[in-house]
Amino acid sequence: MRSGDSMNRRLRISGILVIIGLLVEALCLVWSRPIAFVVLVCLGGALIGIGVLLFLYSLASGPPQPANASGVARDKH
Amino acid sequence: MPTIAIVILILFSAVLAGVVVARPAITASSAGKILAFVVLFFLPLFSLLAGMDNEMQRSKSTAFCLSCHIMDSYGKSLHIDDPSYLAAAHFQNHRVPADEACYTCHTNYAMFGTFKAKLGGLRHLYVYYLKKMPLPQDIKLHESFNNRECLHCHLGARSFEQGATHNADPATLPAIKANTLSCVSSGCHDMVHNVGHWGDKVKFWDGGS
Repeated sequence: MRSGDSMNRRLRISGILVIIGLLVEALCLVWSRPIAFVVLVCLGGALIGIGVLLFLYSLASGPPQPANASGVARDKH
Repeated sequence: MPTIAIVILILFSAVLAGVVVARPAITASSAGKILAFVVLFFLPLFSLLAGMDNEMQRSKSTAFCLSCHIMDSYGKSLHIDDPSYLAAAHFQNHRVPADEACYTCHTNYAMFGTFKAKLGGLRHLYVYYLKKMPLPQDIKLHESFNNRECLHCHLGARSFEQGATHNADPATLPAIKANTLSCVSSGCHDMVHNVGHWGDKVKFWDGGS
């Protein structure tokens, strides 16, 4: 239960980072100034990148799937 | 991909990501897991790449280069009503695409040339925002203009290969091709932008895009 909560928390943080990164990217696309490209890559790209990595980490560190347990049970028969 | 389509895609992705943030428990189901993967992995990376590509394309435009105030005079030089001004003659006669005029001449037609041109652009940004800006007439190229950039279009062209001045001395044409004699050297095509040296009599052509 605790690991599930922790996974949900990581998903939330990951989602928030991705949303902020996407909004920064959208603003940069609308904002036609040369600095917009740097902000898009350095800020938007970093936020999206960290969000995606955190999402992947939350997948890798998530609780074991119950489907494995049923597979083991089948093998016993 | 047009900018508006990318912005719509980004907003759509953000809304879907908002659903995962609001209810992370939906990822317990298979459909929720697929949604989370699409929303927190695939769509953000796709949007980022599409956005970067869009910005890269936009950074080639003449309007982009002229959006910094310090480039105003250079933009104006494209409209000088005098064919002896190299940049103006190229721009006004569409020898270069009018909407990518700066990039066409100032990129580097070598391997990774576009990448190097973008790095040069980052240096411009650094100077523009963090250093003392020079006067427009004091702006210099990072390195002397390479004939390769001119020959990218002119090499093999009749006007270049058989031009009277180019062939007046048999050593001239090989020297130009070897980049030992610059196209923009003094006495040749040396009137390029000439910002700060126009004088009062210069006229401007108000046509074109």
